[in-house]
Formats: sequence, C-alpha cells, structure tokens
Amino acid sequence: MRKGLDRAFTACVAACAAAVCALVLGIAGAIVWRGMAVLDWHFVSRLAAGGGGAGGVLYEILGTVILVVTALGICAPLAVGVALTETVYLEGREHRRTRRWLFSGLYAANSIPSVLLGIAGLIVFSRWLGWGKSWLAGGILLGLMILPTVSVALIERLRSLPRKYLEAAAGLGLSRSQVIWSVHLPQSLSGLVSGLLLGLARAAGETAPILFAAAVFSGAGIPVGIRDSPVVALPYHIFVLAQDSLDPAVQDHLWGAAAILLGMVFALSLLALPVRLRIHEEAKSA
Amino acid sequence: MRNTGRRRLELTRVASLGFTAIAALVFLGMLVLFGVQSLPVWRYAGLGYVTGTRWFFRVHEFGILPMAYGTLAVSAVALVVAVPLGVGTAFFTAEVLPHRSRRVVKAAVELLAGVPSVIFGLLGILLLRDFVVKLLAHWEPLSGDTLMTGGLLLAVMIVPTVMTLADDALSGVPADHRLAARSLGLTRAETALKVAARQAFPGLVSAALLGLGRALGETIAVFLVIGRQDNQWPERLLSFQPLANAGQTLTTKLGGSETFIAYGDPLHWGAIMGLGLVLFAVVTGVSLAGARLVTWGGNRA
Repeated sequence: MRKGLDRAFTACVAACAAAVCALVLGIAGAIVWRGMAVLDWHFVSRLAAGGGGAGGVLYEILGTVILVVTALGICAPLAVGVALTETVYLEGREHRRTRRWLFSGLYAANSIPSVLLGIAGLIVFSRWLGWGKSWLAGGILLGLMILPTVSVALIERLRSLPRKYLEAAAGLGLSRSQVIWSVHLPQSLSGLVSGLLLGLARAAGETAPILFAAAVFSGAGIPVGIRDSPVVALPYHIFVLAQDSLDPAVQDHLWGAAAILLGMVFALSLLALPVRLRIHEEAKSA
Repeated sequence: MRNTGRRRLELTRVASLGFTAIAALVFLGMLVLFGVQSLPVWRYAGLGYVTGTRWFFRVHEFGILPMAYGTLAVSAVALVVAVPLGVGTAFFTAEVLPHRSRRVVKAAVELLAGVPSVIFGLLGILLLRDFVVKLLAHWEPLSGDTLMTGGLLLAVMIVPTVMTLADDALSGVPADHRLAARSLGLTRAETALKVAARQAFPGLVSAALLGLGRALGETIAVFLVIGRQDNQWPERLLSFQPLANAGQTLTTKLGGSETFIAYGDPLHWGAIMGLGLVLFAVVTGVSLAGARLVTWGGNRA
C-alpha cells in the first residue's frame, strides 16, 4: 500500500516535470518548425512591405537591438548602485530595517505590471516632456523594468563572495571604496553579466512598456534625435500583426518574426544560464 | 595619492546611494503618479468606481467590477492549473531527481520563463483558441476568445515562477531531515509530503502568491486571446459559464485603445488611471505578502 502510494507520487511528479519539458520543447519546436518555412536571408535583410505582412523585418530587428542596448545603459549603473548599497553600504545590524525595506521594495518593483510602466512613460515622456514616441523613452522604461531582476542577481553574487577575500582586503588597509573596486566589482562581474543578459532577454521580448511611448508599427527607420523618433520593434510588430492573423501570408510572416525574436531571447538567456544556475545554488547553500 | 583615494571613496558612495535613491524615487513616483492622475474619477464616482458593474465612458459611467472579475477569473484558472504543475515539477527536481540531472529540468523551466509574452499570445491565437473551442464545446463559446483561453495561457506563463520558487523552498529543507525521515522507515513520498512540504509550506504558498502576482499583471498575451468585451459582469458569480465567454481584464483595458481615446477627457483619463492604481495596489500587495512569507535571506528569485 505505502509502496504503491510512493510509486504513484513519483509517477505523478515525474509527469508534471515531463509536461513542463514538453511545453518548452513544443513551443520552441512549433515556432522553429513554422518559422523555418519563411526564414531566409531576405527575411532578415529586407524591410517590411505590404502593410507589414510581407517583406522582411530588418528595421524591427535593429529597433529591438537599439531598445535593448539603451536599456542596458540605463539599467547597469543603477543596478550596480542598488546592489552595492544593499550589500556594502547597508551592511551590519544597525541598517537591518532599511535593508529590509530596500529588499521588499525590489520585490514590489519586480512585480509591477509592465503595462503600468508603459502608461507612466506615456504621461512622463510623451505628455510632460513632449517627446511624442521616442526610442529613448522605450529604452528607459525597459531598463527600469529589468532593474529589480538584475539587482537581485548581483546581490546574490555579492552575498556569496568568500569572506576571506574581503578580510584580506581589509587587512591590507584598503578603504571601503578601494575594496569595492578591487574585490566586490571584479569578483561579482559574472553575476552582473549573467543578470544583465537575463534582464535583456526579458527586455527584448516585452511589448507592454513600449506600447504607448516608444514603438510604432511602421514608418520608422533608424531613429535620429529624441523627440518624435519612434522605433519599430519585433515584439510590437508581432503584437499588431497577431491581431490581424487570419490571412495565411501574414501568418507565415508572423511565425518568421516570432522565430527571430525567440532566437534572440533564447540566445541571451542561454548565455546567462550556466553562471546563473551555479550562482543561485551557491547563494542558497551559503 | 591619498587625496584621490578619498575622492573616489566619496564618488563611489555618492553614486551608489544616489542611484538607489533615484530607483526608489522612480517607483514611488509611479505610485504617486497613478494616485494623482486618477483623482478626478474618485471625486466623481467615489466608491461607486470599485463597486459599479457598468462601464460606459461616453455617458461617464465608470464601474470596474467586470474587469476586476475578468482579472480574478483568468488568474484563478491560471493558478488552478499552474500550481499543481509547478509544485509537482518542483517535487520532482527537489525530492526525486539526483542533483546533477536537476539542472536539465531547471534549465528548461528557465527557458520557458524567458519566452516573451507576445509569443505566448501568438501561440494562443494560432493554436490554443481552437483547442479551447473543443474543450468548452459543452458551454457553447461564441469563439475561441474566452476567459478560459486567457487563463490557460497565463497558466503556462506562470509555471516557471511557481516552479522555481517552490523548488527553492523545498531544497531549502536540510538534507538531514530527509535522511532522518527515511531512516525511520518513511517512503520517499511520505518524506516529501510530510517532512519537506510541511517545512517548506510558507515557501510553497509564497510561490503561489508570486505566481498570482504575475498572472494579475500580465497584459499582452491575455490581450490577444480574451476577446476584450466590456461589461461582462456575470449573473451568477460562481458559475462556470462566464469562463466560456469573452471578457476584459484590468490589464487588457489599460493596454487597449481606450487609453488613447481617454487622453483628452480628464475624467475618462482619471478612470483609466484608476484601473492602473487598483492594479498597482493589488499586485504589490499580493507580491509583498508572498515575499514576506519567505524568511529574510531565504528564497530570492
């Protein structure tokens, strides 16, 4: 009886895991399979045509790259600042409450629905600053969106630094900032890079933050200047076309665009994955 | 020499604390922004805004209950599917699989977490809709755009969150406890359910709550498959029928064209921003509750 229950339990949880793995393979498989039919050099090197449902997606790819690189520039310094504040400047018992607030704040910020960022961007950048739709607004919003993820990844890494490194640095008489520049930052670089890659993977695929303040469906090339310089981007392209997907030609185009987007996102996450899993386990066992 | 060291000390410190302050101000500012911008509708409709079941902006009638219902309905479907699936997978990786092969499953889950929501939406349109029509045939849906479609899609999207956090919670239980349980003659299932799961229970609840937080706030994927029909306030709240109908959630309303239409009319705009404020408050509350459950320094994902 108990043996039977044990077997049933194992079978049950194994089935769950198998279902999840099948989902991943199924999703990736479906998109690669259907996308392969349209993916070729022309698709990535030509401009969209025929109302967006034909031609290639060159500008959409470039626009996504522009947004992601801008997000990187916005997010990286802020994340380093937040992580150093949390682990170095708020070290010790007397700051426990502040540190808790900060950490809860990161959780809360991470949970903010991305569409709210998009609407806040509409008010602040489009309305107050008069930017209209701008690539910079999109980059800033995406950078803010991934800030909590990247900060937490870096904090995990900083927390798992071997104590003896810090003690040795302190023993050499280095000041706190010297310790930061010579131990904390170089030693946690892998955490920063993998956290950023993961964040950027998320930023590349997000639609909601760029919905109102940054992206247009057509009529934008490489943006020049800030005011009224929208971008076209892959996720937004898919989002708009998907609402009009009955036409089979548009469907092919959609699968192709989805395959490229998924390829970009998976490439970024796969680069980050090995380091991330290792750091996460270390941080847990530390 | 000493002098430059000093200066860099100041710079590093000032930059770190300054950037943290900027980040904090941005997110607090957002909350204030939604609060202030939604003031007109609170003055106009008062509590009727959150208890009203009709939304007709042309006659300035603003009640958010149908959308709140939509949000709760899709999230409930998502949780009912995703929590067993995610927690089950976590049991498999934390209690059954040997340490080395865990990473394969965790890598797969991590990849699933990375799939952009617009791609889930696309798959929902092209593949899930037809399936849902067949699944719900008994309730005769008008099309594949139903609350059920949105909920099922959300379920797939929050499985990674639930699984990762549940796995963290379970693997946080010391191995000694498992050994002790096994040596007392408990089977693996009993060890997992009676020892590990009991100890990790707050963590498991937290995983479900943080998954719920994600489900409540997800926009794009749900937007594409839910039909976006206003004023779908069901006659009987607990019946299954409304799940086979199209609907609207707080997020799909916010992401839709009405946000642009509302732009010129302060009251209408306030009503839209009010949706944002309610969503903001609920999601933050749920996520903070989830975060509070796991002890400081424990689960962080």
